[in-house]
Amino acid sequence: MILNRRVLLGAVCAATVVLATPAAMAQATGADEFIRRSGQRAIDSLTVQSIGDAERGKRFREILRGSFDVPEIGRFVLGRYWRTATDQEKTEYLRLFEDFIVRAYANRFADYSGETFRVLQVVDSTDNDKLVSTEIVQPSGKPPVRVVWRVRGQAGAFKVVDVTVEGISMSVTQRDEFAAVIRSNGGTVAGLLDALRKKTGN
Amino acid sequence: MAYGCRVRISVLGHQSVHTPRGFSVLPDIQKLRARVVSRLAAAALGSLLLVAGCATSPPTNDPEALAAYREANDPYESFNRTVFDLNMNLDRFVLKPVAYVYRNVVPDPIQGWISNALANLRSLIVLANDLLQGEWDRANNTFVRMLMNTSFGLGGVLDIATEFGVPRHDEDFGQTLAVWGMNEGPYLVLPLLGPSNPRDLLGFVVDTAFDPSTYIVNVAGVDAFGPARFAASTVSGRAARYDQINELQRTSLDFYAAVRSLYRQRRNDEIRQGRLAAATPGLMPEPFALGLEPSPATASDR
Repeated sequence: MILNRRVLLGAVCAATVVLATPAAMAQATGADEFIRRSGQRAIDSLTVQSIGDAERGKRFREILRGSFDVPEIGRFVLGRYWRTATDQEKTEYLRLFEDFIVRAYANRFADYSGETFRVLQVVDSTDNDKLVSTEIVQPSGKPPVRVVWRVRGQAGAFKVVDVTVEGISMSVTQRDEFAAVIRSNGGTVAGLLDALRKKTGN
Repeated sequence: MAYGCRVRISVLGHQSVHTPRGFSVLPDIQKLRARVVSRLAAAALGSLLLVAGCATSPPTNDPEALAAYREANDPYESFNRTVFDLNMNLDRFVLKPVAYVYRNVVPDPIQGWISNALANLRSLIVLANDLLQGEWDRANNTFVRMLMNTSFGLGGVLDIATEFGVPRHDEDFGQTLAVWGMNEGPYLVLPLLGPSNPRDLLGFVVDTAFDPSTYIVNVAGVDAFGPARFAASTVSGRAARYDQINELQRTSLDFYAAVRSLYRQRRNDEIRQGRLAAATPGLMPEPFALGLEPSPATASDR
């Protein structure tokens, strides 16, 4: 069947719950607490039905900047092409990348239907990040969705650097896709920037 | 970048065997064989098609491009993209509208029953693959589920077992082959079946040949069960992913490449049984170091 198996199962539903806010994290002690609080704040702030798309996008961007290391994610996603990009391209890319993320995820919070999440465990990755395993419980009785947050930094200054939904890393998916776009545009970052500009309406 | 077009022909199975259909309830040996052979022939057709595609030659003089080429693991990309477009057109004009009607017209509980019954039909395949992978606890779960849901669950329509704390999991022979150490091979997009690779295609053929319900033959000689089941699981699965696929299409710059990446990651996760890939660096300064080699999980990382 077309797009069969559970390839896409969780890939895009992470957004119903995710994200974190940086403010008032002084009490946070561990990465698990960081994720727990942040997730709740994101739900409180973004799932309000009365706000419009513009306001939701604005709130989402604030939360994204506060809790995610967007430049770091952007660099990873560009992969090997980061090195060959000019400074001007890098600057524009990071700006477009943030717009791209906001456009892709912010509005998914509008469809929120009572999902909750709980932290299952925290393990250290081989490269000194914390992997916070969570489970998103769906009110409809469907099986819970596994989401793993890769958290970097010290207590009080944690930042999320990747989100893995049902084994699918958002960063890796984005990186593979961007690489394909670059390849089909003669291996230049300019081609990707063009595609991003079109997508984000810049 | 040089593009070489090579055509190779390989035939897995043999030509189809003409067997007159009888009217007995139980399939005789000849019929069974004809069924298996026709399935294999379908697979052979698939493999024939796939190697007939144009393989893009790796750009040997450019290490960066070569690395990108290896990472994509998609030497038949131009052929795959053609089939992908074909599949997407089929989706757009046939499957998606049908799935739209299905999810909006059929009441939710009935959709749940259909999806449960389809899952229950796969129980024997899941059980066999649990056993072949030495996953005794999971095999036990599958066995208990099959008994409970088939009996108290009214032929699998109700998922009683999940309510009793024995949740569903899936398995297939493609995953078993991976656990046994077989590499996935190049990425393939198959007509109708979608994203795959030689390992998963072989797994599909073996699972189908193993599945007793493959051999159900109607009294009147009309063989509707297999196609009906295929259609039902296709529509049910498409309906369940309706919003996700819409979102992915809306947000992706290259939908084909996004699906290719998702397929690989999802399969690797299934092979690991969803366990954390602690050894897999997710985000490192050098993306080359990513644990995304074509080699599947082996016993050592599980």
